[in-house]
Amino acid sequence: MKSAAAVDLRVDLGGIALRNPVLLASGTCGYGAELAPFLDLRQLGGFVAKSLTLEPRSGNPPPRIAEAPSALLNAISLENVGVEAFLREKLPAVPEGVVVLASVFETETQRYVEVCKRLSGAPRVAGIEINASCPHVKSGGIEFGQSPRVLRELVRATRRATSGPLLVKLSPNVTDIGELARVCEGEGADALSLINSVQALEVDVETRRPVLSNGLGGLSGPAIRPIALRMVWQAARAVSLPLCGIGGIGSAEDAIKFLLCGASAVQVGTASYLDPAVAGQVAEGLAGWCQRHGVARVADLVGRLELGR
Amino acid sequence: MTQPPPTPAPLRLEARVLASRNEGGPQHRLVLGVPGWRGFGPGQFAMLSPGARASVPRSDPLLPRPMAIYRARARGGAAEVEILYKVCGRGTALLAEALPGQRVGFVGPLGRAFPAPAPGERALLLGGGTGIASLYELAARLAPAAPVTVLFGARSAADLMGTEDFAALAVELRIATEDGSRGARGLATALLEAALAEGGPACVYACGPTPMMRRAAELARARGSRCLVSLENHMACGFGVCLGCAAPRAGGGFALVCRDGPMFEAGALAWEGLA
Repeated sequence: MKSAAAVDLRVDLGGIALRNPVLLASGTCGYGAELAPFLDLRQLGGFVAKSLTLEPRSGNPPPRIAEAPSALLNAISLENVGVEAFLREKLPAVPEGVVVLASVFETETQRYVEVCKRLSGAPRVAGIEINASCPHVKSGGIEFGQSPRVLRELVRATRRATSGPLLVKLSPNVTDIGELARVCEGEGADALSLINSVQALEVDVETRRPVLSNGLGGLSGPAIRPIALRMVWQAARAVSLPLCGIGGIGSAEDAIKFLLCGASAVQVGTASYLDPAVAGQVAEGLAGWCQRHGVARVADLVGRLELGR
Repeated sequence: MTQPPPTPAPLRLEARVLASRNEGGPQHRLVLGVPGWRGFGPGQFAMLSPGARASVPRSDPLLPRPMAIYRARARGGAAEVEILYKVCGRGTALLAEALPGQRVGFVGPLGRAFPAPAPGERALLLGGGTGIASLYELAARLAPAAPVTVLFGARSAADLMGTEDFAALAVELRIATEDGSRGARGLATALLEAALAEGGPACVYACGPTPMMRRAAELARARGSRCLVSLENHMACGFGVCLGCAAPRAGGGFALVCRDGPMFEAGALAWEGLA
């Protein structure tokens, strides 16, 4: 029997060389150091840090989270330390050898551009992921990622703001994910991450009010995995960009489903709340699965979903 | 201001259920075998996932539950960690069904621990309902060296938990129930008001319903005494990444109960914003 090391787990995600396809999703791993007591981040392909805004933001009042069937509903909003404190304090605390992607979240295109400019060229930032699920103030609260016109403007502007790898994290709250993926490809994005959380509502029947202070929230966890697989598969058919699959991933088998649907890499999110070391197990499990199935390179699984019976 | 004591780095493992006992009504005591235990600070908590990694993985309910660590007894390289809790929903009901030998996901100890009182301060421990579970270890550690008064309130005698454990410590235990079925009739805060009036400066340690803790903070302040509270909140992770357990700070903005607490100086919180 060959050792697990014999499996080639390396993948390329839009110009970012990853030692394996498993990353941590933005907003679920802080700025990296929070998971250090439980997980050696060098076991992973990398992590996407909590979304950054130009200025520090303190987020929504509680309640911010609620449990739903096999899922978590959250409305944390923009809470983050701001891009300057990230570069000054958080980034230097990340151990050497860990691939860090920065995530950007803003309310206006020009503000996204400003944050991207500050991150661009920072020595430890391997790439920038544009979080397109933020409400677009000028469009009355519609998400940037919901309008092809607004998304085009955002990707065009942020593309000019950085010469490094640029990922766009797509909103699932759309009719045609393929159209939005093509917009990003046309504007020069290097890769796409999908899906962000699914817009949702939970109700307290006693108070007759939404459970979350914000009213609406984003649903994540195993419940959204089949939705995410469907959207990754649709996006893979629409564009030739590398994709990073996100949505309810908690095991190597989950990750392989995304690879088969066309993702080159995956992000583990909500599952880290249940077990902060789970992403390391996903990466290890991928090697074991490939070995047991005679797959020499994990990249060979990408897009190999068999259709037809 | 006394700083919270240093605490060991948290463990993440599957603990083995050594015992799971009903202690009357909805009250349960869980004893977990935790290998590699390095101790904990009084008032720290753990995230428990019943059946998360059992033979059939469970995704619903999805999230682990934050639980105060009641006490821990070292047994060689491992420890018996006790959790005292009340079944109040699906997560705790699942936990109550766990059988000896089964595994429970365990991440902990987490959060900031209670500091010892300053020299010359009396220790007044105020527990409301299940909040008493956060105070046992503190009582046990302080009692040999200094006088400790434990003030314990609940709705009725059936809602009191762990009273025999406290009675076995060298502490003074005063009980109040709202229906008068045991101890004084009334609220725990009435016990606190009386205890504060009995002597010099005190350090009040309070854990229980928010209105109880808020009143405790007012009573302590009026007497020039310090008040430390231990908050409960819904949490998805317990270690500072989900940002779900926000509590409003007195100066604006939010603290995280898991990372900045659960122990807070009462004056550091904006009480009107706490649920």
